[in-house]
Amino acid sequence: MRQPMKQPIVRSAAEPTRFPPVRRLRSVPRRGRARGEAATFAHCLHAEWIKIRTMRSTLYVLLGTLAFCAGLAALNGWSAGEEFAGMSPADQAVFDPLATSLRGYLIAQITLGLLGGLVITSEYGARTIVSTLVSVPHRGRVLASKAVVLVAVAFPTGLVVSLTGFLVGQAALSGAGAPHLALSDGTALRGVFGGGLYLALAGLFGLALGAVIRSTTATVTTLFGVMLIVQAFAPALPGGLGDWVSTYWPPIAGGQIITAYRDPDLLTPWAGLCVMAGCVAVMMGAAHAVFRKRDA
Amino acid sequence: MIEVRGLTKRYGEVVAVDDLTFAVRPGEVTGFLGPNGAGKSTTLRMILGLDAATSGTATVSGLPYPAQPSPLKAVGALLDPSAVLPSRTAFHHLLALAAGNGIPRARVDEVLAEVGLEKVGRRRAGAYSLGMRQRLGIAAALLGDPPVLVFDEPLNGLDPEGIVWIRSLMRRMAAEGRAVLMSSHLMSEMELTADHLIVIGRGKLIADMPMKDFIAAHSEREVLVRTPQSEALRELLVTAVEVRDEDDDTLVVTGLEAAEIGALASMSGVELHELTPRRVSLEKAFMDLTSEAVEYRTESEKVTVR
Repeated sequence: MRQPMKQPIVRSAAEPTRFPPVRRLRSVPRRGRARGEAATFAHCLHAEWIKIRTMRSTLYVLLGTLAFCAGLAALNGWSAGEEFAGMSPADQAVFDPLATSLRGYLIAQITLGLLGGLVITSEYGARTIVSTLVSVPHRGRVLASKAVVLVAVAFPTGLVVSLTGFLVGQAALSGAGAPHLALSDGTALRGVFGGGLYLALAGLFGLALGAVIRSTTATVTTLFGVMLIVQAFAPALPGGLGDWVSTYWPPIAGGQIITAYRDPDLLTPWAGLCVMAGCVAVMMGAAHAVFRKRDA
Repeated sequence: MIEVRGLTKRYGEVVAVDDLTFAVRPGEVTGFLGPNGAGKSTTLRMILGLDAATSGTATVSGLPYPAQPSPLKAVGALLDPSAVLPSRTAFHHLLALAAGNGIPRARVDEVLAEVGLEKVGRRRAGAYSLGMRQRLGIAAALLGDPPVLVFDEPLNGLDPEGIVWIRSLMRRMAAEGRAVLMSSHLMSEMELTADHLIVIGRGKLIADMPMKDFIAAHSEREVLVRTPQSEALRELLVTAVEVRDEDDDTLVVTGLEAAEIGALASMSGVELHELTPRRVSLEKAFMDLTSEAVEYRTESEKVTVR
């Protein structure tokens, strides 16, 4: 096994090492190696699935999101329902029982964006990205697997969050005697299903941000800025810019999916969601480019 | 077998690794030695595809690392033992790594047992001591039962028991025919573990040779001789390179073997009380070798090292 000792070489680095003739390493017989099956995308998916479900934050984020959205829907529905009778006819005309019950998405998009970010920033934080990439050096495969398992978690969660918010909110509205919707309503179904989709996209948005930024704190801060602060300040922006942002800023456009009342100046729900999806696609593309090129 | 050819890494103006060429052969522990900041970790990271080389290539069993069909079955690596998510159990940490390469779940329990963590494998890795994390890192490296092992500073921060354990593990892995590459900045660690030495300084290759040749080439041998007739002996040692008095009755001789001195003394009837071959420590040899390549050093050290 051992090579006969070669002439000692003390030398300047300029002289090339002479390599021994290439021999196939006949190592000790070991089980499993002979078959040498190549690692596949499915293997990587499995690995990422194990990681996301054994990350403690995952459960906290999901339960917290659900509790918050259900609570907010109840409070919102109850207070809006109380106020409905005292509203002007104009306000009553644009009253949106669907959006009232699904308003929790504003926070859920941040928490699920955080979950998406954590899927990769936790690896940078703990430096496990090194063992991840040693195990799967195919970086596109790693990022794609993270995206898939994230959607597998975030989409059902988004659906449950939306559905719970809807049911709780509508019950509160109906308890207060205000207009409310049934789930069988097409608009309601679109809002609940679309809300789930939107929240899954928010998760991917966070993943893309996290892959580029690498720090959990900075990712959360950015999520707040992009998803809430811009939304809050859009009306205050000067004329044309304000209109453009209110219409096309992806999280605002995507948020149309949970509204029942149609503001003619804004995008339609599905068009808005497509803007958000397009934005997420571009960001994932950028994240992939950065993740592939950068030293881990 | 790891083959590195012309490997270079530049960060802007700074050349961290400068045209390195070497091979790590199976059946040996190859020590990868250099002062802090010499570029050892960067080299290992390039071999493992974590950092992109500016130029040059590194292959493992003939393939660049990212092209390995099943990387953990080709190379086991211990890079940063503290790299575990604190809330995840050691078992799940390993399970995820194994899953990524289609390594069966049973193997995770095997490697946990192999490194002596089977009792604590279900505990959060955050509660592990440094020694336990090091063992966990080794377990991860062994998952795929690979023919090539790469350990970056595996002895850092370990207690004596841990050091002995890792040393014997590396010896065993080499004896099984695997290629083992181990980096360190301490010569004293290498002396006991490595068969072959690769020394770098400031990213450049300084030496690439079997350990015993390194010892022969770099440890000046001297012989301590104690005799009541030191003047008489001194006159006999004409072929010695240097003879100096260490004491009234003690000479230190370089350039002659102890046997030769003994023979000369006995022929001339000179009484000897002690005849001891001594070696300049390899640590000193290493420091002399790399003294020009040390990147960070205090003024006082500069004076003493030279």
